[in-house]
Amino acid sequence: MTEAPRLQMTGIVKTFGPVRALNSVDFEVAPREVHGLLGGNGAGKTTLMNVLYGLYRADAGTIELDGAPVTVASPGDAIAARIGMVHQTFLQIEPYTVLENIVLGTKAARGERFDGPKARAEITELSERFGLEVDLDAVVEDLPVGVRQRVEILKALYRRSRVLILDEPTTNLAPQEVDALFASIRAMVDEDLSVILITHKIRETLGVCDRMTVMREGQRVATVTRAEATAESLAATMIGETPVTDPTDGEEVAAAVVATGLASADEVAAADAGAVSTAPVAVRVTGLRVDNDQRVEQLHGLDLELREGEVLGIAGVSGNGQVELAEAVSGVRPITGGSVRLGDRELAGAATSAWLGAGVVYVPEDRHRDGILPTSSITENLLLGSQRSTRVKSRGLIDWKAARQRAVDTISDFSIRANGPGALAGDLSGGNIQRVILARAFAHHPRFLVLHNPTRGLDLKSTEFVYEQVDAATREGACVLLLSEDLDEVITLSDRVAALYSGRLIGEWTRGQTDHYAIGRAMIGLEAQDV
Amino acid sequence: MNEVVGFLALVIPAMVPFVLAAQGTILSGRAGVFNVSQEGVMVLGASVGFLASFTLGGNTIGLLVAAAAGGLVGLILALATTALRMDQFVVGLALYFATLGLASLLYRVIVGVTLEPPLIELLETYPIPLLSDIPIVGEVLFDQDLVVYFAFALSFGLWWFMYRTSAGLRFRSVGENPKAADSLGVNVFRTRVWATVAGSALVAMGGAYLPMVYTGTFTEGMVAGRGWLVIALAFLGGWRPHYVVAGAAFFAGMDVLALRAQVADIAIPHQFVMMLPYVATLIVMIFAFRWARQPGFLGNNYDRESRLSG
Repeated sequence: MTEAPRLQMTGIVKTFGPVRALNSVDFEVAPREVHGLLGGNGAGKTTLMNVLYGLYRADAGTIELDGAPVTVASPGDAIAARIGMVHQTFLQIEPYTVLENIVLGTKAARGERFDGPKARAEITELSERFGLEVDLDAVVEDLPVGVRQRVEILKALYRRSRVLILDEPTTNLAPQEVDALFASIRAMVDEDLSVILITHKIRETLGVCDRMTVMREGQRVATVTRAEATAESLAATMIGETPVTDPTDGEEVAAAVVATGLASADEVAAADAGAVSTAPVAVRVTGLRVDNDQRVEQLHGLDLELREGEVLGIAGVSGNGQVELAEAVSGVRPITGGSVRLGDRELAGAATSAWLGAGVVYVPEDRHRDGILPTSSITENLLLGSQRSTRVKSRGLIDWKAARQRAVDTISDFSIRANGPGALAGDLSGGNIQRVILARAFAHHPRFLVLHNPTRGLDLKSTEFVYEQVDAATREGACVLLLSEDLDEVITLSDRVAALYSGRLIGEWTRGQTDHYAIGRAMIGLEAQDV
Repeated sequence: MNEVVGFLALVIPAMVPFVLAAQGTILSGRAGVFNVSQEGVMVLGASVGFLASFTLGGNTIGLLVAAAAGGLVGLILALATTALRMDQFVVGLALYFATLGLASLLYRVIVGVTLEPPLIELLETYPIPLLSDIPIVGEVLFDQDLVVYFAFALSFGLWWFMYRTSAGLRFRSVGENPKAADSLGVNVFRTRVWATVAGSALVAMGGAYLPMVYTGTFTEGMVAGRGWLVIALAFLGGWRPHYVVAGAAFFAGMDVLALRAQVADIAIPHQFVMMLPYVATLIVMIFAFRWARQPGFLGNNYDRESRLSG
């Protein structure tokens, strides 16, 4: 390789207050290369790319493109230097059309309208060349996630990017969509682009990347070519220790292994195939009808059953009724029809306190918005929902001493990393917030646990912790409804799996009979007729 | 028939303060800055506009000085909410009180207390050749003063800018999703500053128009709540320049009707008529909230680094 590297970042330092997020990082990408950027939460991979895209200003370090030094002080500079970035949360103007979103900020030729035929033809050509099919006149807020991602990629291509950064692009995609995305990436590389893929999924990385750089705690740990790398070696580098906590416990091994993406979940699940529970039915949902926030019916008569100690996994791409299902069966969202029975108790229409009293516990998807009071302390957050319990009350008032002691115990039991029980919940990291929420959930002694994307955005250790807690809950006879966009997670944890598409449950696979592609097809509606 | 034409010919100039101030409100609002100082800035515009016109001679100068004063207030609002990221509502309210006081103070200092209020000349009408000869329409629309024509031309220009140019597409994106706009190289800070300065200048011009068309002098209560109505008008028009003109026609119609009710001793109390614009706005907000959508980031400040953590 005598050619100059496409991108050369040298000695990049970035601090946020006392925290050193990037500690003199060197990073290099060759021309026509797909380069994986791996690391756990807080490893600094997104921070590094935000520096490259001008969203963060580095405290030190230099950036060179094709051998020439560049200064990137704002995204405008990055675009001028032909760097493009697709963010994890899409940066789109929702009421604008696809075309308007793509041309926004570019200069139309003199006398040419911004949405004129020239721009239209050019974008159509790009979308055909790279296999990124979109309807240019659709309004962005009406589009599903997969299509919105294509819009983001087209935005970067339209600006003639020579370096394209993709931040966790596969998070919300069905397996087929991931394959299509990777095909598009290969097409881009063939046309002289360099692509940087930020990810924590090792299996995907090995499938598409030419080289990978692993980051940990704000530093670059290693850069390897695909030929040199194995899934095991990458995982070990990523977490800096062996990922398996206790090799004798099958479930935990599975969790850890799948979380790193080392093996396909099917292989692991095959180990204890076909064990169908015969325990008594604990939860019976029949004919459930629920509206979304816009009062449009999302679930049209959904049935499901959970036996004691059983985990039912609901796979699916978000926006197919997950939020409505999770909130309806946990008593948060009003039910417009049907019944939810826990044991012999009918809960539809009952007050929230009745649901709580019956042992229904909900761990919401959006932990910051729905799960905690961000400006309250850990003690107060743990107290929520049990403020009437006699354990923390004395003479009609809250016994803060007892509440505080409980928080101290919880912090050590659940290994929450915080500056004591008075720390504000909003200041904790995502993993620690989830620990607080789970601790609170288990304090209610759940009989029916509803988990929605419980490990989204969590690092390996926190993910593993959540899996352990699910396991512990089922051993005590609780049943768990798990809604997750992470198919591997659903397959690993669940005794039975169904896909949710368009408000309907499609198919059912028991442990060991799961098939990634079959579930994937159901998730995107290709098998809707097989109900 | 003559009665109706006469009524409409009065409604058109009554629209001007609403149109100018509401387009100003929309201009800053579309960039995400929610201005609530209109009532005060309009009073300041009326005072400064009158004083400049009185001392320097000429209503054109009066309008320009008023616009400059309004622009300065807008600059304070813009810098406080962008550079200092202070709460828009709090700064806006503070500016309302400050400009209200300043308006009276300036008048007292320059004119003092007099028995006979000093007067300026009212704006003359400029009938547009040919067009003003059209029956009814010509009389109502094309036999007015220059500020009327300016207000309508401005409204059309703003609509064209926002919806027909790529600069307008960039501009609106700042108020919808500044993070997305920023990531595409749009300068959020600069856009917000100029939009707020220009918007506040228009609000002040809307105020300055009042002494020049109605009284010929400045009195403290002359804006009479129009500044608050303008905020309602922006919501009613869904923050779109063309709908705002239609809303202004309705508000101005109520304005003239209330005046008539007072003068002509009609059975409807004029307070009731004056209430109608607010009621109409409430009804629209309740039933047409999907249609009357507001800029997605209206009222929020943007901070590049804090919102992109992770």
